[in-house]
Amino acid sequence: MERAIRTTRRGPLRWIRRIPTYVFLSLWAAFAIFCVLWIIFTSFKTNRELFANVWALPTRFVFENYVKAWQVVRMGDYFINSIIVVFASVALILAISTPASYVLSRFTFVGRKLVTNIFIAGMGVPTPLLFIPLFAIMSFLHLINTLPGLIVIYTSLSIPFTVYLLTGFFVTLPSELEESAVIDGASEFTIFSRVMMPLATPGIITAAIFNFITLWKEYMLALVYISEPDRRPLSLGLYSLSNSMQYTGDWVGLYAGAVIVIVPTIILYIVLSERMIEGITMGATKG
Amino acid sequence: MYRRAKKKVPIIILFLLPAAIFYSGLFLLPAVQAFWYSLFSWRGFSDTKVFVGLGNFVELITRDENFWFSLRMNLVVLTVGGVLTFAFAFLMTALLSSGIKGKRFYRAMVFLPNTIAAVAVATIWGYIYNPRFGLLHGFFQVLGMEKLSKTTWMAPDKAMWSVLVAMVWVWIGFYTVLLLAGTEKIPKSLYEAGRIEGANRFQLFTRITIPLIWDVIAVAIVLWTIGALKVFEFPYAISGINPPREIWTVGIYLFIMGFGKRNPVYRLGYATAIGVLMLIIVIILAAVAQRLLRRETIEY
Repeated sequence: MERAIRTTRRGPLRWIRRIPTYVFLSLWAAFAIFCVLWIIFTSFKTNRELFANVWALPTRFVFENYVKAWQVVRMGDYFINSIIVVFASVALILAISTPASYVLSRFTFVGRKLVTNIFIAGMGVPTPLLFIPLFAIMSFLHLINTLPGLIVIYTSLSIPFTVYLLTGFFVTLPSELEESAVIDGASEFTIFSRVMMPLATPGIITAAIFNFITLWKEYMLALVYISEPDRRPLSLGLYSLSNSMQYTGDWVGLYAGAVIVIVPTIILYIVLSERMIEGITMGATKG
Repeated sequence: MYRRAKKKVPIIILFLLPAAIFYSGLFLLPAVQAFWYSLFSWRGFSDTKVFVGLGNFVELITRDENFWFSLRMNLVVLTVGGVLTFAFAFLMTALLSSGIKGKRFYRAMVFLPNTIAAVAVATIWGYIYNPRFGLLHGFFQVLGMEKLSKTTWMAPDKAMWSVLVAMVWVWIGFYTVLLLAGTEKIPKSLYEAGRIEGANRFQLFTRITIPLIWDVIAVAIVLWTIGALKVFEFPYAISGINPPREIWTVGIYLFIMGFGKRNPVYRLGYATAIGVLMLIIVIILAAVAQRLLRRETIEY
């Protein structure tokens, strides 16, 4: 009897009861996909075509919008700026946060908990608090309006979350290999680079992807510390493009610019979505 | 698990040093300096600072209508935005964890807006809200609702809610993914047991899922509180060079007082005082949230 009831619940009846769930989730997904696809298709239209019928697909694919965005609006230069700034920042963040996180999570010493908390407390600090004092420091260092300046700012402001993520990851690693390396008389550097780093690679990659996406998207700090048009990263470039839109009215050009910003992270997301989602949740769900 | 630090002090220092230098020089130092600068009237980086004590704070709290106006936006995000975001995130979590096919695909699509730069999200919503050719315009036209189709969604009286809806759309994805990760750690046997006891899906969710992911919910709410006070990029991007006061947040107001919109303002001490107030509000709200959410962790 019990079994009979269970089978009906698992059978077609259950599937029918789930239709509202599928409809709701599919509509939600369709909206997100539509937003991205619409902007991509429209970026290949002319402004005249856009105003004639916003829903129609482009009659022929106009690449001029991209040529214009890439060269005239200089999104090409901004793209290169972003590549330099984001890659250098991510490399620097990992180079300094990994050893620190390793020590904070695998050694015991006086003040370990305090130091960890000080690092992580930065996550709660609203970034605008730092705008002006950091501006003064950066101009003292002659790093205002420079790519290296933006790199060090991105690096230091990314430390709290990265340390949070990596200490959470290092704590979960097994200690057998580490212990046998100690017994074998390996030096601390060998233990770190040959034993712990390989074990921690998944966590380090997750941190790299997370920081890459975050910094690629970032434009608030760039807005504060970069006023020289030559040095704009891509998202700041899109911001100024959308401002000048108010005078030019070149909508399709704006959409082409937006697609140039969106595509790298979307591609990364398609390839690595599981990893990225893991990065978001690793800290909050503790392991 | 932890190793003793005897004779390891040089290693510990060496490994911590690079991160410590960056973090203390370019994060802790400016954060502490902010408190000092907030006590000055300072009209430009090369200008001399004039000590005014708590004058900036007195002006902000008693006389500055714009400050309260922008704080209101943050509080609307915190409360209205919070209720909307968490209601949808819980709904999504319940639906996605109900054993449907294609869970990973739907989860990826819900999270998708989070992978797009806020400026580009603003471009997308600029299209959706466009009164001449936007998505909502087209949608209401198809339904034959001419009047609604001509709505200027970014007009001052509606801008705050339009911006909020767009931001909530993005945040739902983030918090769904967070809550869902919590539910994935709950053993299936608990649900089996609940079902045998005759609980329906709603009861399973409120009696098993929520208590067991309580620590994740607590983290999510603290993150939400910090995030709501930080809001900057989306509203600033969607409104162009001269954002209307209706969508100012405290962060945006700070930026305007510090660096100006079209023309520089350079009230540097005053702007920094806004930042100090932001930090104080975050600390108070996070402490309140943590106290309200404190609860025995359930081991399973």
